[in-house]
Amino acid sequence: MTWLTPLIGGIAAAIAAPTLIILYFLKLRRRDMEISTTLLWRKAIQDLQANAPFQKLRRNILLLLQLIVLAGVCVALAQPELAGSTLNGDRQVILIDRSGSMTSVDESDGKGGKTSRLEAAKKQAITLIESMRDGGLLASDKADSAMIIAFDSQGETLQSTFTSDKELLKRRVQEITPRDGPTLLDEAMRLAKAQSPQRIVEGRGLIAGEPMAIHIFSDGRIPDAAKATPGQDDHVEFHKLGQGDATNVGIVGIRSERSFEDPTRLSVFVSLQNNQPLERTVDVEFLIDGAGKGIKTANLPAASKTGLGLNKAQEAQAAARAREAAEAAGGKAPDAPATDGTSLQPGLSGVVFQIDRSDGAVVQARLRDPGSGDPPSGDVMSIDDSAWLVVPPARKLAVALVQPGGNLFVSSVLSGLPLSKLVELTPAQFQQRAQAGTLAEFDVVILDRWLPDGAKKSPGGEVPANTPGAPPATTTPVVPGSTPTVAGPTPANAPAAPKEADLPPGRYLILGEVPLRISGQSSGIKLVGEAGASSIVDWRRDHPLLRSVNLDGLNVAKSRKIEVLPGSAATALAWTDTGPILVDSVAGDVHAVVVPFDLAESDWPFNVSFVVFMAQATAYLGDEIDGGALRQVQPGSVLTDRLPAGASDASLKLPGGESQTVGVGTDGRVVFGPLKEVGVYELSWKGTAGATDVKISGGAKRFFVSSLLDSQESDVGALDRVELSNKDVLAQSRAPQAARKQIWPWLLLAGMLVLMVEWFVYNKKVHV
Amino acid sequence: MLPTITPTRPKRMDDLLTSELIAKLDPLDLSSKRVFFGKLKGERRSKKRGQSVEFADHRTYSTGDDIRHIDWNILARLDQIFLKLFLEEEDLSLQLVIDCSASSDCGDPSKFLFMQKAIMALGYVGLVNLNRVSATAMGPGPSSVISSLRDLRGKRRSHDLANWICSLNPGGTYSFREAAERIALSRRGKGLMLVFSDFFFKEGYEQGLRRLVGQGYDVFVIQVLSPQELEPPITGDLRLKDVEDGDLAEVTISAPLLKRYKAMLGAYCDQLRTFCARRDLTLLTVRSDTPIDVMVLDYLRKRGIVK
Repeated sequence: MTWLTPLIGGIAAAIAAPTLIILYFLKLRRRDMEISTTLLWRKAIQDLQANAPFQKLRRNILLLLQLIVLAGVCVALAQPELAGSTLNGDRQVILIDRSGSMTSVDESDGKGGKTSRLEAAKKQAITLIESMRDGGLLASDKADSAMIIAFDSQGETLQSTFTSDKELLKRRVQEITPRDGPTLLDEAMRLAKAQSPQRIVEGRGLIAGEPMAIHIFSDGRIPDAAKATPGQDDHVEFHKLGQGDATNVGIVGIRSERSFEDPTRLSVFVSLQNNQPLERTVDVEFLIDGAGKGIKTANLPAASKTGLGLNKAQEAQAAARAREAAEAAGGKAPDAPATDGTSLQPGLSGVVFQIDRSDGAVVQARLRDPGSGDPPSGDVMSIDDSAWLVVPPARKLAVALVQPGGNLFVSSVLSGLPLSKLVELTPAQFQQRAQAGTLAEFDVVILDRWLPDGAKKSPGGEVPANTPGAPPATTTPVVPGSTPTVAGPTPANAPAAPKEADLPPGRYLILGEVPLRISGQSSGIKLVGEAGASSIVDWRRDHPLLRSVNLDGLNVAKSRKIEVLPGSAATALAWTDTGPILVDSVAGDVHAVVVPFDLAESDWPFNVSFVVFMAQATAYLGDEIDGGALRQVQPGSVLTDRLPAGASDASLKLPGGESQTVGVGTDGRVVFGPLKEVGVYELSWKGTAGATDVKISGGAKRFFVSSLLDSQESDVGALDRVELSNKDVLAQSRAPQAARKQIWPWLLLAGMLVLMVEWFVYNKKVHV
Repeated sequence: MLPTITPTRPKRMDDLLTSELIAKLDPLDLSSKRVFFGKLKGERRSKKRGQSVEFADHRTYSTGDDIRHIDWNILARLDQIFLKLFLEEEDLSLQLVIDCSASSDCGDPSKFLFMQKAIMALGYVGLVNLNRVSATAMGPGPSSVISSLRDLRGKRRSHDLANWICSLNPGGTYSFREAAERIALSRRGKGLMLVFSDFFFKEGYEQGLRRLVGQGYDVFVIQVLSPQELEPPITGDLRLKDVEDGDLAEVTISAPLLKRYKAMLGAYCDQLRTFCARRDLTLLTVRSDTPIDVMVLDYLRKRGIVK
């Protein structure tokens, strides 16, 4: 029992009760009656009043009833509530997980049926909101307030300020719709903390703002929980949704690959996951543009306990197979659960479809129950039962090789690759083509020991002093985002634009040079100086570029010493003892793989890995290795792409069928999102079509697909604890109960009833 | 208890005494535990020795005695002179006192009407038996007496008595002590006195009764209470107003209060009874709805007032 306004109730009682009693003395409207003598009456009442002044009130049932009414009203004024749940803070932050796993249908709807975890979470959140302390009628400042954040891979504040308007809060909760994306809590937690500015407390310094009660409604499948940091004083409650033994089988990875020899031969790898401790068999349907092209049966091993040593050999085998399958499918290998030993490691399997298809296509893999053809039975989550993939058309790459002089190694390696076109250009020709905008006909441009001058300058405009042959920095730097041809004032006799322009949009393999600026931005690479002889110490074996490349034994006699700026667009892929030696940099519309040393200064060209690297690099840059991963947008992420010049009136058809207009930027960029659901998104526009686009009358269309492909989300078994960075929160043992019940209306009602009884008694007494 | 709303006032003797009642009253006579001196020759034995035929005593002769009373037989036998003494028969003085205050005119049936009928009946008995009947009405007047009748005698005077009784109008308040004093002072001789009242005197009845009894009268106290005073039929929150002095008493009628009232009434009557017993007064408490013949023939006879 809590009292919202005990003081008011007490004051009212203190005033009203004596007043009632005094009024009771005064209020009686007595009937006048003449009698023979008042002698005996006086004696009788004198006797009754003899002991105390309040003798008159003794056994006065009317007064007693009125006092009961008054007590009821005064208690009602104090606004007692039966507390069904305890709320620790005045400020509640309600975090509701709306990720893909929350669409799992394994919560009871209270009517014998099943409902999704998100619906159950909304219900519980509404119950929690209803259980919030009202300020009551008289003390609104004492009310609990709440804000609501829904999160999947991003957090969204649905109610950004703390409010005690329960109806508003409930409406906000009702507005939450499921997203098919993965779960990330950190951002939501930051949003919550942002509402509570830090404050300075004497003796403790700067600490978090006013403590809040943070309620996390989730199934506990939060991969980044360890990053989320609630305030030290905050009280965190985890409301677990879903069942720990919920079963699900889902697709956790899909990718395609065309045969190196015969690009028309398409292989599609589908990686599957089973989280239940029983073996399962599912059919995987394979559809191209909605039409079934094949069906394969996959046997999924049972999810097994890790760390208990049960059937280790089988387990190890399964794990290895799982890893292979996951890697082959390009999906994330499931992280080994670092939690308790009783958690089940999902069983993984995969299937491969092989077809002959040279055209691009949108392929779909779909899980079906063997035999019946229905969705898998006992599956609580449906969004991971389908996965889509955009397969680019089979084609050979067009490659341009730009080098100031001949380089036998590069030329000969490239001539051996199955390319549609290999054109050797001089730097001047490259710049001409760059000016004319005809470089787009090449899928990949290889720059061997040469770079446009603009690319050698750091974005600050200064050429590093130790760069040999760098011209003095006399020109104004290119404004980021502007086209290269509108660079600042230049000497009149110099060819203006090409000199100062950096790399035009495209994919580049840069050998023996280090670009500092690409696409008007920093490349993320910092040139430190020259490095002497060095050898490879490590490389990213899991990167698509280096997947089959063995760099062991590569020696470099002389190189440039570079650093990769942290947080920049560049990623180091291989390291020597002096620093990075292979960098992948994506900035703006330029994707560049940088090899900073001159091949002639190393023994790499004599190594077989060089040939493999060149083949991989051209394929990687030519978008062939990723198997359409660029058109794969995870739910919750933002769809961004660039349309060909002149595109307009873009509209995006969502998986649900409705269309939305998408604005096209001046540079052809379209942005949409974050995507809410899995499926195929069809972007159509008026204007020219790109190489991989489908031409339609007056325009073109391009497909994007969104699939969950997240083994963490697909592993739907709800967890009992959430390990935050500074707190380990166990699930609440029970859902928030119907919570605070306002008693005062009942007290008032009781008061009314007593009043009616009093009326009855009074009438009876008067008329008898 | 409550004032009689439309009081029936007797207008003539027939309203006070019915013929049936007269028939019942005729054989009755008044009696007293004591023997009083009379005033006139009457039909009642007096303390005096006198002329009756009933022998009382002998006494020795002393000079000057009437020789007619000498018992000659004794003189002849003993040679001593004794006088024969005879009992004297005289009349009895009956004093009727009626309370004419406003409180008397309350109740249903009216206490006052009951008292009127009662004194008429008793007065009639007294007159029939050749007693001297006096009547006094206590009420708001000089010395708290409205009017009085003196020394009626003989059956013929019963109409005078009835006329006087019918002329009485109750109302107002008075001092019982004053009235008693006045009666005591104006009284001649000794005799029987019947005081009719409810004895609800705020100043107390003690002084008045003491004054009346002091003269050696044989006083009968007849307390008349209405049925409503015994069982108050009232309820609710009331402001009770005394019909005599206008005194207000605010009461909320409840079962405990009624119980308390009855207890107080019982105690008051007991107190009166005790007071009367101590002073050799005879108390009779009657309800105003008691038939007169029952009261006279039963109650009064049992108490020795009539025989």
